[in-house]
Amino acid sequence: MTRLAVRLRRFRRLFILLAVIGPGLITTNAGNDAGAIATYSQAGAEFGYQMLWILALITVSLAVVNEMSARMGVVTGKGLADLIRERFGVRGTTLAMVLLLVANAVTTMAEFAGVAAALELFHVPKYASVPLVAIAIWLLITRGSYPVVERVLLSIGVVYLAYIVSGIVSHPDWGEVIRSTLVPHPVPSLNYFLLAIGLIGTTIAPWMLFYLQSSVAEKGIPNEQLPYSRVDAISGAIFADVVAFFIIVAAAVALYGKLDAATLANMQAADYARALEPVVGSAAFILFGIGLFGASLLSGGVVPLSTAYTVTEAFGWERGVGHRMADAPAFFGIFTGLIVIGCLAVLIPGVPLVSLILLSQEINGLILAAILVFMMVLVNDRRIMGRYVNGRLINTIAWATVALLVSLIGLLLAFSIPGSPLSG
Amino acid sequence: MLFLTEILGAEVIDVRQHRTGAVRDLTVRVQEPYPVVTGLVVSRRGQLVIPWSEVRTFAAATREVALRATREDIERQSADPNAIWLARDVMDKQVVDTDGRRVVRVNDLQLVEGGGSLLLVGADIGIRGILRRLGLEKLAKSAARLLGRDLPMVLVSWEVVAPLGSAPDLEHPVSDDAIRLRISGSRIAKLHPADIADIVEDLGAKERKTIFDTLTEDIAADTLEEMELADQVSVIEHMDAERASEILEEMPPDEVADILTELPREQADRLLSLMEKEEAQDVKELLAYEEDTAGGLMTTEYVAVPERLTAQQCIDELRRMEPNAESIYYVFVIDAEEHLRGVLSLRDLIVAQPDTLISSIMIRDVITVHLEDGVKEVAAVLSKYNLLAVPVVDDAFRIQGLVTVDDALDAVLPESIKRKLPKAR
Repeated sequence: MTRLAVRLRRFRRLFILLAVIGPGLITTNAGNDAGAIATYSQAGAEFGYQMLWILALITVSLAVVNEMSARMGVVTGKGLADLIRERFGVRGTTLAMVLLLVANAVTTMAEFAGVAAALELFHVPKYASVPLVAIAIWLLITRGSYPVVERVLLSIGVVYLAYIVSGIVSHPDWGEVIRSTLVPHPVPSLNYFLLAIGLIGTTIAPWMLFYLQSSVAEKGIPNEQLPYSRVDAISGAIFADVVAFFIIVAAAVALYGKLDAATLANMQAADYARALEPVVGSAAFILFGIGLFGASLLSGGVVPLSTAYTVTEAFGWERGVGHRMADAPAFFGIFTGLIVIGCLAVLIPGVPLVSLILLSQEINGLILAAILVFMMVLVNDRRIMGRYVNGRLINTIAWATVALLVSLIGLLLAFSIPGSPLSG
Repeated sequence: MLFLTEILGAEVIDVRQHRTGAVRDLTVRVQEPYPVVTGLVVSRRGQLVIPWSEVRTFAAATREVALRATREDIERQSADPNAIWLARDVMDKQVVDTDGRRVVRVNDLQLVEGGGSLLLVGADIGIRGILRRLGLEKLAKSAARLLGRDLPMVLVSWEVVAPLGSAPDLEHPVSDDAIRLRISGSRIAKLHPADIADIVEDLGAKERKTIFDTLTEDIAADTLEEMELADQVSVIEHMDAERASEILEEMPPDEVADILTELPREQADRLLSLMEKEEAQDVKELLAYEEDTAGGLMTTEYVAVPERLTAQQCIDELRRMEPNAESIYYVFVIDAEEHLRGVLSLRDLIVAQPDTLISSIMIRDVITVHLEDGVKEVAAVLSKYNLLAVPVVDDAFRIQGLVTVDDALDAVLPESIKRKLPKAR
């Protein structure tokens, strides 16, 4: 009898975990989009295993930031934009919203460009693939309820296993891989440093912070289930970086030392899939292609969704995928608008996609710094968080992360602003 | 009228002209229908709260709050930890309607000085509030004017807001600190003139003037129409003549005549002379009649067409005249000398063949009242024949005006009953 009770309790726990899990995994997976995959591939191709230790450190930062987001979502039942508007007023919020809207619109374009590139690997023309994918995403999110949307987004995440498999089938030297991950060994080169910043920048984006907290809030998770939400947020960070890890490994095995710097600088995610084919065979090519398609598909849905949540929260309009379109017109309007813009940018010839994407990365870096500081203020405010404010240890790690990120972002901006002494 | 954002950040100066700090927030005590401001939170060393009674004046232009007391006296006051702070607890909060639907956020709060205290009367939930806080309101207003548009103020009266809760306790942070409305979201598109009228009627003459100064002429006219005659008169009396005449021009002539009758002769004449000729003429005609007769009650806005028209021509004529809602129900048919020959309903007109002469379908036995008939008789006629309006004729049966059922009802209902009627929402 007691054994049955214990077993039942275990099942109950598992059930709650399964119910609570989702936002963290979806957010971090969606963060591993086409741009991120290109950065990871380049890290492996250019520096072999020498960047793995940095990835390990980033994972800790990402886990800490994710945990704070999830905790704020559970405890307040509000999104990050809600809290920023209520605490910091109209001025800061409006500025952040305008910048975020621009950055997210461009990011959406990049995701649809990723869809086009991935399916072109399999000889599907973009004029067929992009509109079809856009309509599929739109139908899913406007017609589905939140649980349905979440389950579909979660299952798209399974394609990331493709990258893990391709990392394993590339047969790396495991001893060397583990040593490189645990022992820091920086390479004194400008390119190494820049790529390290890029690695951090692609792993944490402002829209991710907003999306994670909004979707946790929309699930209405009670305070007692906070531990499960933490598991979701932290395991999301770990899973996403394990995927990144295997992409770097696969690229390192296949391409390290085989490509010159000029070629590397211009390679996109799909180019790496092509480059892998002659070295590791068509299996890796197919796996990389599938992974890229899934990643772009997921992010192509999540980034517009995140934007819709964020802007409607800031101005207090009705929102949530659970509503009918007539009840939340602004929410569905922003979502639809971004998808249309993203889609058109890829299909209309002559749109300067590459320079737009660079611009959006700079804007993202700029707002990320501000948003992280806002987050730290909010998560430590007792009027908002009650007894769920940060503990001393978490605060130390979090502020260190914020300080590191902010200074790296500052450097990245200094490098990328034309005419500055640091820019190449 | 004052917005919270206009007072936030203002300099606080004590009775000896010493600077005491800047206004950081206002505290309120919840009471129905409008919360009353109890104190001023000053951003200087912690949380110094000055009771509102110590505030002498607030000058909006220079953004200075003058106190009655000295800085030292005030520093002995301590803050009530349970008070509601407007900027902290109400501003920017989510507004939800009766169905729990999220509508918008509180973009600004509207305060009105009345009877020596400052009341929270409404929430600004429109784009104007956001622009004001971005410091762009004036710019946007002139931009809108350039495009020939008006930038409307979207306000919701505090009367439709459910009472504010007390401050949240720290052990259980409130996840639901939204501002709840007592009406459905679709109805708050705008503070209705009747709502403004309700607010204004509770205030003194000076405060009324401040509110009216902020309204556009057509909204001011609509608001005035919703008010009781005595209040209408007091508003117009205290208003600068030029502006008053512009507002009166927007109102129906019968209401204007009622107001002018109550004003001193000289002032009424001056207002009439400032009004446009055509409008003034209508009013003057009405003024000639005794107040409690059909002539005094009637409006000169009615629809009359010549009898030689066909149904189609008549409809075209109506389209050209664009008559207002009150007068469209009956189309009167007159001859060349304005004698009333018959009446048509819109239904008769629309179902008739286009080339039918209206004289062949009109009803010839028109129910009328005479200019000098008393209000009670007029009301009796309206009631007996179930009419929405009745035409008023002179001795020669020439049409002079129209008394609508709501004007007649207003005139016969005793004042004591009107006060007891529930305020409609």
